[in-house]
Amino acid sequence: MTTSDTETIQPSSAGAPMRMPLAIRLARRQMRSGFEGFVVFIACVALGVMVIAAIGALANALVIGLERQGRQIIGGDVSISRMHARATPDERAALEGVGLISETATMRVMARTADSKEQILAELKSVDDAYPLVGEMKLKGDTKLDKALANGAVVEPILLERLGLNVGDEFQLGSAPIRISGVIAKEPDGLLDRLTYGPRILFSTVLLEQTGLLKPGALIRWRYAVALQGDGKDDAEDLGSARAELKKELSAGGFTIVDRSDPSPQVRRTLERLRQFLTLIGLTALIVGGVGIANAVTNYIDRRRRTIATMKSLGANNRTIFSVFMVQILAITLIGIAVGLAGGLIIPSILKALYGDLLPIPPVISISVGSLIAASIYGLLVALLFSLWPLGRAELITPAVLFRDQVGQASGLPRWPIMAATAVTGLVLLLLAIFSSDTPWVAAYFAAGLSLILLLFYGLGHLVTWVTRRIPRPATPELAIALGSIAAPGGLARTVVLSLGAGLSMLVAVALADASFVEELSGKLPEHAPDYFVLDIPRGEMDRLKSVIAGEVSGATLQQAPMLRGRLIELAGRKVEELKPPAEAEWVLRGDRGITYADEVPQGSRVVKGNWWGENYSGPPLVSFEADLARMLGLGIGDQITVNVLGRNISATISNLRELDWDSLSINFVMIFSPNTLAGAPSNMLATINLPENLEIAKEAAAMRALSKAFPTVTAIRVRDAVDAFNKVFSKIMTAVRVAGSVTLLAGALVLAGALATAQRRRILDAVIFKALGATRRRILAAHVLEYLLLAAVTAGFAILLGGFAAWIALTQVIDIPFVLSWPAVFQALGISIALVVILGGLGTLQVLRSRSVPYLRSE
Amino acid sequence: MNEPIIKLDGLRLSLQSRAGTVEILRGIDLQIAHGQSVAVLGPSGSGKTSLLMVIAGLERSTGGAVTVEGADLTALDEDGLALLRGEKIGIVFQSFHLVPSMTALENVALPLEFQGRGEAFEAARELLGEVGLEHRLHHFPAELSGGEQQRVAIARALSTRPRLILADEPTGNLDGETGRQIIELLFSLHRRSKATLVLVTHDEALSRRCQRTVRMGDGHILSDDLVSAA
Repeated sequence: MTTSDTETIQPSSAGAPMRMPLAIRLARRQMRSGFEGFVVFIACVALGVMVIAAIGALANALVIGLERQGRQIIGGDVSISRMHARATPDERAALEGVGLISETATMRVMARTADSKEQILAELKSVDDAYPLVGEMKLKGDTKLDKALANGAVVEPILLERLGLNVGDEFQLGSAPIRISGVIAKEPDGLLDRLTYGPRILFSTVLLEQTGLLKPGALIRWRYAVALQGDGKDDAEDLGSARAELKKELSAGGFTIVDRSDPSPQVRRTLERLRQFLTLIGLTALIVGGVGIANAVTNYIDRRRRTIATMKSLGANNRTIFSVFMVQILAITLIGIAVGLAGGLIIPSILKALYGDLLPIPPVISISVGSLIAASIYGLLVALLFSLWPLGRAELITPAVLFRDQVGQASGLPRWPIMAATAVTGLVLLLLAIFSSDTPWVAAYFAAGLSLILLLFYGLGHLVTWVTRRIPRPATPELAIALGSIAAPGGLARTVVLSLGAGLSMLVAVALADASFVEELSGKLPEHAPDYFVLDIPRGEMDRLKSVIAGEVSGATLQQAPMLRGRLIELAGRKVEELKPPAEAEWVLRGDRGITYADEVPQGSRVVKGNWWGENYSGPPLVSFEADLARMLGLGIGDQITVNVLGRNISATISNLRELDWDSLSINFVMIFSPNTLAGAPSNMLATINLPENLEIAKEAAAMRALSKAFPTVTAIRVRDAVDAFNKVFSKIMTAVRVAGSVTLLAGALVLAGALATAQRRRILDAVIFKALGATRRRILAAHVLEYLLLAAVTAGFAILLGGFAAWIALTQVIDIPFVLSWPAVFQALGISIALVVILGGLGTLQVLRSRSVPYLRSE
Repeated sequence: MNEPIIKLDGLRLSLQSRAGTVEILRGIDLQIAHGQSVAVLGPSGSGKTSLLMVIAGLERSTGGAVTVEGADLTALDEDGLALLRGEKIGIVFQSFHLVPSMTALENVALPLEFQGRGEAFEAARELLGEVGLEHRLHHFPAELSGGEQQRVAIARALSTRPRLILADEPTGNLDGETGRQIIELLFSLHRRSKATLVLVTHDEALSRRCQRTVRMGDGHILSDDLVSAA
């Protein structure tokens, strides 16, 4: 030992700070033997950090892609839109004062074959000569857009397929025959106004005027793309001032404004939500990996017991010991973080290369410093959270280990500052996860659920060991050995149950929730749910429509309500843009909402506060608001709200709050006005049709054909088709969640691999003794397989119970749909559990069976 | 003359190490008769424990012939060797090598269970009584003293009534008094069982209690003396 070592290892005086250089020097010497035993530690940190960094980078790449494509997506530098009402000459003049403009109109329509035998719900977009201001509309066969539009409409290929038509054929739209003059290959601004209800039909606004679809109150969105002139198109300041000018000039018009810097706030918000949610999943993987981190540190300290005892016998105090090992843990954590960040940087590029073409927005890969820092902080905090406790126990090792090995087993609690540091680290991690989320309560529930599940599995692991120890020894030696191994002090029960339990529970919960949703969505629709929604029925035509339906199907029932689209402008004296509502209520404030008026409380609604206006009410304008949303938006009886309808601001006072059943799929409106409020507004009717149960499909189709023929301008949406379309999107989301959830399982597998590696020496020694006593390899293999199967089955059993319970709570208590027990989901969990434990354990068993006996029998 | 229980002809054992090939046993010729007690004596590194491991079938020779109870060990696969040990050989290790997750009773019963004998636990209980541990049947190894652990190991080695008992420094990890008690026990059981006993030791006094002493050095047999016919 050098002189300086001798000097500095002397017990430091009370309260004197530890000199870090000594800790680093000693730590470096400790680490000369490499990172043996820390591979799992590094892998666990790296996996979690990689997932969080990669998710952040990918979301960032998509947001940048969205911004870069901003001009193309909105078809200009600024885009303003409004339902129902086309821009007035004054409004148009204001727009033209800022730059070049292009006017488009979008709506849902029914496209029919000329003989009305086939029909399809489609998305119509009419354009002017200036369209597109930015980008290029690509048609198949290099047809030019202007030429095609001069001869008719261009359509997406699926429309040709569904109606059995070709280019040159005609189809019926409203009351006009439309000739197909081209096929759309790529629409430059498709992302912004696609409703995803059906294939696109695009023609000139001149043609739209001939179809008879342009009627007052029709559900048409008018959009104006504005391209700034001169330098303005590249200058953020000019963009800001142009936007501000438009906002000022058109403030009373009820327009929604977006600009190229944030072309789709909704897509950006969705990406941000997805990033936050997947980050929580990544954090779960990191925390499950924390079990592996804790195991690795515990084993490392255990292997260094004699070294610690020697250092103490030479005068090192507890703080020195703690610092020396903390330096090592920090160094290893940094390596794990570096590996994770490298992976997080590479993965988005790999995904872009593999799946980039499938994304609606081309991702722009760039280094996102924020997500790298967030991933690193999470990695560091989790590593500290799971290392501090076992490091603290290193201090409990006494120098007596050097004389009697067994006395030095570190037991008991670490010093209180270390326990406090562990608690603070956990708290910081929790607060960071909660407050970096837009929906803190979701993150809080998630954290609480995860903590509860980990604690439960920790307890269950001990329970399995405890119970196994008390099971009477079975007569079959293989089973006895298997149970003995599970119950042994270094047995695998606790690690297997804890490491795989959380991931499996998550998979079970997701699979069961998915199965229940699929059953709910593809099974029977809610009782009394309508079969069709019919839009844009002219007000005076309701009776004729009823008689057409009654003539085709006896027993069909209709419900009707006038419907307009309006945008909330002010709530209780505050402008909507200034409000910060909870995430669940944001949708009400964004874009247009359907609004109606009625004399009576509609069927399915119940007034829970305040009073309904009477029939023929003629007092000040009143409105009825949905109770839950009113609560979330801070609205109450007597508050005034302002809605822009058809370009006109209409204010009304909240006179009552209603509860309504969204799940019924009936006609539901957030806002119902007293009829006198909207008396002057031209509106069409919305109707629902309930067909008799077990109606033949042919009869249903015939009724819809008759409806379409009699009312060429109305649009009928089949509820079943809409639900199926939602189901498809939902199943894609569930697949993404399942993939993300399997990362947690991968972290669990890493922990298990680490635990198996630690237990390997004991297992080999046991096997060697069994062989020495006459056991064949088949017998040892059978004992191992039994042990793995028992552990896997018990873990899967717990995961099925807990995951099933979580899914049951979420489905029946939160989402309110019936819980369906899916046996495939149960068997999947069991299968994954068995496969992971048997494969990972099996690799160890192969080594056990191949091991030479003598080194183990002689070495002790 | 009866066929010897152990017959070694030109037995060689060499192992690979980083420094190259190490010759552990350099051509051993040895025959041991049924019922004999033999002490294998020699300093550390002389090859005595390796010799014992080869006889037990736990280490494979790299040359020569090894026959135990008429079986050619070089012709048996690993499972064949395990079955031979289970039926005919009992081994006592210096470090006891009890299964830590099993009680004393379970440890002793285990070889009998491997052979599918129904009376495994009755026989184990009886044997533990014979070694003076009837009050420690349900204790785990960690709850027993070193001497008690070695008694359990001896009971386990004798549980299948083997024809051959191999003991590798059975008192090496025990204090003097406990070691003496263990040796008394081992010899008394050997006398009663009439099995062959091969005892590896570096203790001259202990070797004198055996009928025959084989001295080893550097992988060779240096001397082979019949001490007594007792």
